[in-house]
Amino acid sequence: MKNFLGLLFCLTVVFSVSAQDDLLAEIDSVSTQDYDTPAFKGLQIVTLQSTKIPAAKEFYFVVSHRFGSVKGGISEFFGMDMATTKIGGAYGINEWLSVSASRHTLLKVYETAVKYRLANQATGAPVTVIGYNTIDINTFLEKEDYPKIEFGDRLTYISQLLVSRKISDRLSLEMVPMYIHKNLYNPHVENDDQFSLGAGGRLKLTKRLSLNMEYVYNFDKPDFYQNPLSVGLDLETGGHIFQLLFTNSQAMTEGGYVTTAAGDWGKGDFFFGFNLYRVF
Amino acid sequence: MKKRNLYFILFFVAAMVPFVSHAQKFATKTGDIKFEASVPSFEEVAAENKNVSAILNANNGELAALALMNGFRFKVALMEEHFNESYAETAKYPKAVFKGKLEGFSLKALSEKPKQFTLTGELTLHGKTKKINDVAMVSVKGNTITIIGNFMVKPADFDIDVPKVVSKKIADEVQVAYTFLLEE
Repeated sequence: MKNFLGLLFCLTVVFSVSAQDDLLAEIDSVSTQDYDTPAFKGLQIVTLQSTKIPAAKEFYFVVSHRFGSVKGGISEFFGMDMATTKIGGAYGINEWLSVSASRHTLLKVYETAVKYRLANQATGAPVTVIGYNTIDINTFLEKEDYPKIEFGDRLTYISQLLVSRKISDRLSLEMVPMYIHKNLYNPHVENDDQFSLGAGGRLKLTKRLSLNMEYVYNFDKPDFYQNPLSVGLDLETGGHIFQLLFTNSQAMTEGGYVTTAAGDWGKGDFFFGFNLYRVF
Repeated sequence: MKKRNLYFILFFVAAMVPFVSHAQKFATKTGDIKFEASVPSFEEVAAENKNVSAILNANNGELAALALMNGFRFKVALMEEHFNESYAETAKYPKAVFKGKLEGFSLKALSEKPKQFTLTGELTLHGKTKKINDVAMVSVKGNTITIIGNFMVKPADFDIDVPKVVSKKIADEVQVAYTFLLEE
């Protein structure tokens, strides 16, 4: 009988406990769609675009600097004397489409772009696919120097497909096939149509710090230019994202970045710079 | 003797089943939780989750609530991303769960006029559990029980670390306000 009372007691405890857990179990049936953090934190890996686009109605203020080559040493303060600036903004029209515009000091270029998502890893696709189309307007070319210049001659078109995959919580990789067409080019040194393939990635070191790298192989590269290789750090500080970087290509437009990389890592000829985003 | 015992147990279980399942329960899937961690003169740090599940056992006042962390909406999408990625670590800890009790709860004592009850229980989020002891206002209208209340929590209590660079912009104490309209 003692045994029985003991059992009864145990059962009562089990029941009262399970009754309490039942209450939670009754509402715990909601399917937890796993939260997927985006593959990239910044809109750019280093200088190449990442597969991140601004959310709907979100405005990014973008300021980037590329300083002169560190090769100049202390007399040019490791390139700080010769800063070039990109200043612009990007705006999310809806969840999959954004537009951006910026002004670059280098060659006085105005850059306009559309960025649109074609596939999204977060919603089940194996990779995220983004289309990115840019038109660069070079306003550095003076009418006095080029009397026959027309507006069309100032334009460069860039089309890219950004394909990324978040491999793990810490590692994301991206491939970027791209096509660049220059209306004005020097036929002795380069092609008007240039094809290239970029690859980049982001490795999270801590919750708010990541190491980024990218490289572009230009199939139509003239001998005296290099292929761009860049390395950077993402720092997230609340509403800002700060990217510190080193690169061998000073330009910030894709047209210049990919086709006119003048620095050479092997000779200690590279540039320091940063990208800064502020979100409104 | 053994067989008799078994019968006893079976009888007891059979007797318990209707007793347990007879509990009168009120529930919602669209409960509302807001939290506010703003610091005056800095950017607003606040979010709202409108899809909180909650259930009340009207027989004994037991209350359970569940919120998915990725259901919290911020004004700025990037802030929401930061919240999920670096603060709540939603991929690792997708849910916030509350289990507790309205002390001295009685369905008969309720009216359309809100009545005060002490709410005690445990809040679990980010892998940490903390005791909550606060006051909730409970009223009933028709078939709907309304529970409204708020309490303060510290991010540090749940091992959510706030980096130094933004510590001035995020309040040390976060105010959490909830509204549940529970239906039978």
